[in-house]
Amino acid sequence: MKNAKIIFLIVISLSTLLLVSCIPGSAQPIGGWPGTTVHDNTIYVGSRDGRVVAINALSEEMQWSYHITEPSDGMGCGPAVVSAAITTPIVDGDFVYIGTYSGKVLALNTTARSQNPDLPEEPQDRYHEWETPIGTGARNNAIVADLVISGDVIYVSSSDGRVYSLRKDFGDQVKKSGILDEKHSKLWTSPVIEDDTLYVSTFDGHIYALSAETLELLEWSFKLEAGFASSPLICKDTDTMFLGSFDRHLYAVKIGSAVLEWRFPEEPAGNWFWASPVVNEGIVYAGCLDGTVYAIDAQTGEKLWEFESKDQRGKPSSIVSPPVLIGNLLIAANEAGNVYVIDPETGEGERIKNRENGNKSTINAQIRAPFCAHEGLVYIRAEDNCIYVVDIEKGEVSWDFSLAIEE
Amino acid sequence: MSFVEVWHLIIGNPILNVLIVLSHVLFGQFGLAIIALTIIVRLVSWPLTRRQLKSTKAMQDMQPKLQELQKKYGKNKQKLQQEMMKLYKEAGVNPLGCLWPMLIQFPIWIALYQAIMSALATTPEHLLNLAHRLYSWEMVSQAIPLSSQFLGLDLGQTALQAGGRGLLLAIIVGGTMWVQQKMTTAPSVDPRQGATQRMMTLMMPLMFGFFTLMFPSGLALYWAVSNIIGIVTQYFVTGGWGYLKFRSPFGKY
Repeated sequence: MKNAKIIFLIVISLSTLLLVSCIPGSAQPIGGWPGTTVHDNTIYVGSRDGRVVAINALSEEMQWSYHITEPSDGMGCGPAVVSAAITTPIVDGDFVYIGTYSGKVLALNTTARSQNPDLPEEPQDRYHEWETPIGTGARNNAIVADLVISGDVIYVSSSDGRVYSLRKDFGDQVKKSGILDEKHSKLWTSPVIEDDTLYVSTFDGHIYALSAETLELLEWSFKLEAGFASSPLICKDTDTMFLGSFDRHLYAVKIGSAVLEWRFPEEPAGNWFWASPVVNEGIVYAGCLDGTVYAIDAQTGEKLWEFESKDQRGKPSSIVSPPVLIGNLLIAANEAGNVYVIDPETGEGERIKNRENGNKSTINAQIRAPFCAHEGLVYIRAEDNCIYVVDIEKGEVSWDFSLAIEE
Repeated sequence: MSFVEVWHLIIGNPILNVLIVLSHVLFGQFGLAIIALTIIVRLVSWPLTRRQLKSTKAMQDMQPKLQELQKKYGKNKQKLQQEMMKLYKEAGVNPLGCLWPMLIQFPIWIALYQAIMSALATTPEHLLNLAHRLYSWEMVSQAIPLSSQFLGLDLGQTALQAGGRGLLLAIIVGGTMWVQQKMTTAPSVDPRQGATQRMMTLMMPLMFGFFTLMFPSGLALYWAVSNIIGIVTQYFVTGGWGYLKFRSPFGKY
């Protein structure tokens, strides 16, 4: 009897522990990290609770918000969808476009919604809004990478491993590519368009060139042993693309060439080059998950300088968001919430202080989302679901806005 | 250092990185890596398993004596317990000996569950978090990100999401667990204890079958392989099917 009781207790505690780590449908929420976009004094961003939010940058008030309805995952201990808006909103004309984790592309009329904030939270035909599902199935077509717009076409990388093109005005699917990554069957990097060609980097270490019109593979492709972690960045002057890999290197690949231009650094860096780099006047600025911003000669791949970002304990903190150039300054932010203003020539940088307590990080939350700069201000969505507007000239956070819904 | 950091340092990260290296070595097949890791875990815990099996065998041999005691002291529960404990002591058998391997494997299950979820990186968050837990080994860098496909199953998805194949996996997990339990659980001489035992023998496989539907298929694969290895080991060490009796259609056991 005693034995049976002990076995019973073990079974009960085992199942309790397993179930505690797995509340049906709610384990490991997907928050995503949609970045910010500023257009006509309006900030557009996706919130952690699955809304597209438009904020008036002058009055610092919300103009409108749109809740994206997502299917529930139901039972199960797999990842549950919490946030719908995964990609950074893109504004083109009167519309804002966003991709969702449930595999939909959404076009919302910014003019109509700012004039009628109470418009229903579903696409309005009369304002030419639309919503288009990508691919088939509920899970394997998640849109993780940012959308790309060129002319009248939107290009979408899907987690089903394909690139899709949609008509910008009605959302109709125009073309779809073949599965570009057979091994992983997912594309989490954005395509880059150059002339009439689309370039896509994949987790299995390929760079593919596709016809922008037909999405058919073109002759040139490039292959690495390790997979690519970031979307490519193309320097138009030299027809070279720069992109980070999971082997802790940044690569420079000349379009059309089978030979690698250069690899940085010689020995692997401290972690992945996750964020896409930026390039300006022959210098590549790349943030690394080891917490360092590197400036690299775009031609030779030689290091010009490096800047190590820290957390409040003095330890390096990952740079997840791509650095941004604003005038003659480079802005970088790390996961610890520190924002830095760096001189692109010398690599000397200064941390923007927290306005309440100088010893704390610039923002009291993690920074992972891509941020944008506009007229001397940097707009950052932090992981506490707030937007922080940093005035670079004053060197301070000038205002913030909570995206959380007030109960 | 927080508990989580210590956990990752000592058990979580080594299991995760070994799993990724195994995946790279085994032709990029994460499913094969899970199977290989299960075999490794079984080899590491072999001394304990052997003790458990010996204990099971000894219990099996003691059954006639236990039944005699049941007949003799069936009405006096206290005396029966005392005599049974005396018998166990004389035979050098610990009736709880079979529980230790299970308890020791429990943290490994948790670490393996976390490792499978982390390694598969089914969401962008998982992939980014993975960056902080990897060793700077070249093999690890080249293996990331892993492919989650194995025998038509997505190991990062729950069996429930996988449909028919997932259901088959749940039946295999439950079925193999039932067989293993039946092989090792000695029939109790006490009718009440026997009823509880029968309930547990049925409940555990049902529970794990249900968990299989809820958890990523990679973990279910670990359970299934672990059970099958357990059955095979049990069969060869104790020399047969133990307490599992097959009723023949002709009326003989």
